[in-house]
Amino acid sequence: MAKALPGYGTIDVPKDRVVPFGAVTPAPVGTQPLFQTSNWRVVRPVRDDEKCTRCLQCYMACPDACWVYKAEGETLEWVGDFCKGCQVCIAQCPEEGALVAVPELDFEGGVVRLEKPF
Amino acid sequence: MAKVHEITVWARGVLMDKEGRDVINLFAKAAQMDGKHAQAFDNYEDLPDRVLVTVRKYVRLSDEEITHKYVYTNDKPEVVVICEATIVKGIDILRGMEPGGTLIINTNRSIDDMLKFIPNAGLLGTVATVDADAITGVRTVDFSGSEGGVDASGIGKGIAAPIVGAIAKVTGLIKKEHLAKVVSDVSGMERGYNEVKIKHFNASAVPELVGGAAGSKLKK
Amino acid sequence: MAKESMMTGCRAAAEGAKAAEVEVICSYPIRPYTAIMMELAKMVANGELNAEFIHGEGEHAQVSVVLGASAAGARAYTGSSGVGVTYAMEVYSPMAGGRYPVQMSIADRTLDPPGDFGSEHTDAMSTRDQGWLLGWAATPQEVYDNTLMSYRIGEDHRVMLPQMVCQDGYFISHIPDKVTIGEVSQVKEFLPPYRPIHPLSLTNPVSHGPQIRPDQGAPMDAMRAQTFLAVPKVIEEATADFARIFGRKYDPFVEQYKLEDAEIAFFIMGAHSNTARTAVDKLRKEGVKAGMARLRWVRPWPTHQLAEALGHVKAVGVIETSTSYGSAMRGGNLIHELRASLYDLDDRPLVTSFMGGLGGETIWPADFDYMAGVLTKMVKEKRTDRYVYWLGM
Repeated sequence: MAKALPGYGTIDVPKDRVVPFGAVTPAPVGTQPLFQTSNWRVVRPVRDDEKCTRCLQCYMACPDACWVYKAEGETLEWVGDFCKGCQVCIAQCPEEGALVAVPELDFEGGVVRLEKPF
Repeated sequence: MAKVHEITVWARGVLMDKEGRDVINLFAKAAQMDGKHAQAFDNYEDLPDRVLVTVRKYVRLSDEEITHKYVYTNDKPEVVVICEATIVKGIDILRGMEPGGTLIINTNRSIDDMLKFIPNAGLLGTVATVDADAITGVRTVDFSGSEGGVDASGIGKGIAAPIVGAIAKVTGLIKKEHLAKVVSDVSGMERGYNEVKIKHFNASAVPELVGGAAGSKLKK
Repeated sequence: MAKESMMTGCRAAAEGAKAAEVEVICSYPIRPYTAIMMELAKMVANGELNAEFIHGEGEHAQVSVVLGASAAGARAYTGSSGVGVTYAMEVYSPMAGGRYPVQMSIADRTLDPPGDFGSEHTDAMSTRDQGWLLGWAATPQEVYDNTLMSYRIGEDHRVMLPQMVCQDGYFISHIPDKVTIGEVSQVKEFLPPYRPIHPLSLTNPVSHGPQIRPDQGAPMDAMRAQTFLAVPKVIEEATADFARIFGRKYDPFVEQYKLEDAEIAFFIMGAHSNTARTAVDKLRKEGVKAGMARLRWVRPWPTHQLAEALGHVKAVGVIETSTSYGSAMRGGNLIHELRASLYDLDDRPLVTSFMGGLGGETIWPADFDYMAGVLTKMVKEKRTDRYVYWLGM
């Protein structure tokens, strides 16, 4: 008694809506495009290269791993993708004026313009 | 069905959550005093208790009963209000807006400075800025409101007051007299109403303005 | 005077619990239902409600605490959302089997992942085999009404079962709408005090939840099933009594909207039914004979009532806001029981399902147009092409 039974159909998730397998994402070390928290910040930490003593307190304190220490050149690079402007690095910095908070709107860059809040 | 005006208010989690909510609640109360139907609610899925995350609050206004009450997001905002200026860099705030919409920002920077960060500003009919922080200098933080607790500190004690005054002036959708009855900081609201700076683009798409002249109106 | 005010579903649930004069409340925070507990905490602190307010150390503790309270003879109240509901899973069957008419107010939340505050029904739906009464509200007013009706039904001696009063998280729980609170006299007339049958007692000692033998298992299960045969009548009586006293009339099991001459129908549960109603109106204006059936009770499932309401329809689209991976239709859970309800009809409708509102997203009016298009095509071609359509995918 063969009868055409209904099928399950197909499920085509649009490419721009695909979610990583098991919602597992690369850890936000360095940079990771899926976690955009840079639009949380209102101020940005700006490092004064001369006053900075390379004590690495900011590097250790940042909860989002936004300060990256580059051994050659002995410099600290700021990765803006996750910086939420929490200012813990600024509070931890022992040198007067080496790390200051500057309003984010003073900078042309760092525009992410997400479609929806993350 | 009568036109439903959609107003989306952007604020920041925890530190400005109450301010955003005050803006929509004041707006809704003032609209109801006018005999209009208004619906005001937070966007709960923005998870507003993360400090500084961008959050949305919605208010809708109509002459008749709003039937699509359970369509939970404003997909075609007519008026976008930004309570914290940096949000223009972080979110495509004009998403879904039809041409001729209105943008109101709480900032002390110039309108042109703000428009630098908004590539789709061609959609806008009106842009306004109000320096709410300078007017009141207060951002009330009262976390209990988002979960049905009482906004015990009062509605409109902080920057919400000048912002909602600015909205009344720019959009004309609510009346300043009604706001004065519900807002805690009446003088702040009045100052926001008077000190808002407005700029118009594409004169044909400009919504009717109610109220006297104040601030600079430059036609581009 | 019965006053009308704007309130969210959470506040309405709290007002319902206050009107029912619950005696023991056990709380644990999880959003979105947590606002219910915040409101109740305020009421207890202000002296408006004389109840024992206990903070559990988890949802499992919550349900266990109210089980004990009910066993001792108190009217008990608790609630949860999302993964909190599944965390307490162990206690549901003992609660139903022990016949403790506790009420659990559930504000739906998506299960992890993503666990966001939007609403999916899977959290409460996954407990549907545990033996509780399970129903959904579509407006804050209905949340208040269901709170009272569920206590009345659950505590009826013909029933004595725990109840889950569910509402969509965020849509209903956090968006205010008009609610009329009943007067004390109305509530007193509708809801008698809780009279436990065999409470824990010092004067008449009893043992609750002892070990029973395997050969007693089958009769015990059968007797619990017997109760569910009696429940529909109690639901009908309570709903009719509610209409008489409070003036708000509900169809006890299935809200039928423009179904009498409908050719296609949406079968839906919860908040999105409000959008469905507007969509049906629009389709009717366009000449499409559309209707909507909104399910109010999942347990007991109104098998015959659905067959009667939807039997004449040509195509039914079940709108699922819950998932049941790997299930027969590879979509949600409502479709299976609906198809089963319609199976024995001579001229049964074509039934398919649409996965919508998942993740707590809105179901747009345009989605309803799409669904109506699919259903109309099914009627024309006289066949079901697929069991399930995922909206937007």
